[in-house]
Amino acid sequence: MHALIIDDSRTMRSILRRIVTELGYETTEAANGQEALDALEGGLLPDLCLIDWNMPLMDGYTFVTRVRAEPQWRNLTLMMVTTESEHGQIVRALAAGAHEYVIKPFTPDAIVEKLELLGLAAREVPA
Amino acid sequence: MILATEPSLSDVYSVVEEVWTTFLGPDEPIYPAGAEQVPAELGGYDAAITVTGAWQAVVLVSLPVPLAEAITRAMLGMDDEEALAGDDLTDALGELVNVIGGNVKSLMAGPSKLSLPLVARGPMSSSSSLVEACRLDLGWRGHVLTVIVSVPANPTSEDPS
Repeated sequence: MHALIIDDSRTMRSILRRIVTELGYETTEAANGQEALDALEGGLLPDLCLIDWNMPLMDGYTFVTRVRAEPQWRNLTLMMVTTESEHGQIVRALAAGAHEYVIKPFTPDAIVEKLELLGLAAREVPA
Repeated sequence: MILATEPSLSDVYSVVEEVWTTFLGPDEPIYPAGAEQVPAELGGYDAAITVTGAWQAVVLVSLPVPLAEAITRAMLGMDDEEALAGDDLTDALGELVNVIGGNVKSLMAGPSKLSLPLVARGPMSSSSSLVEACRLDLGWRGHVLTVIVSVPANPTSEDPS
């Protein structure tokens, strides 16, 4: 499994990387939507994108709309991870094609639960 | 109907407490600092974010260097002795004020937009058109930090789009 982590904060990318690495993901990082789009156009095909909203050059919402406009990326799972918590913005992101929406701050469990719902994570059950 | 133009002190405290606990762990919660503990100048870093739109404000976090370094190491998952790289502090403090600012924004009527965060060594100059609406003096690991929400003295509503 491969996750593309898109956030202009290196700190937040590091926090998210630690969470998904624990789940067995390999990761690639991008500092904005344009960088992420360039990576996809360069052939990267992740299973999951974790996307901040507010970023320079290209924000997360624009990235979602650009990805959803391209049929070759239709199977890509998109999860917004952002401080933007207004109802209108959540609705807009989901309508544009994001599968899930996580509001910062989040616990690692909150991310894992969302990934479980998407079938992209499985917790180990103690024997 | 009267819309609030500033968040309540207790709501802002709850936001900061939640952000702290989530980013830095539940073992060392933040606490209100006594007046006698608050120095006139914190002499460290200021991190600020601006909210524009239906609600307008600037959210500012001021903290001394040792606290800024401790928070950065905790957020990056580093050991206490590990050396910080050049922009680790500004990146971590920017994300901290981004999340606090975003959650304070969510307390108020929207739609509003967040700016990208700004982080500076030393005090940031404040616009004379802003007034302090809410101030929290808080303690963590024996250091004091301040969270201030400032709003326009004469608020006008802007279209955030």
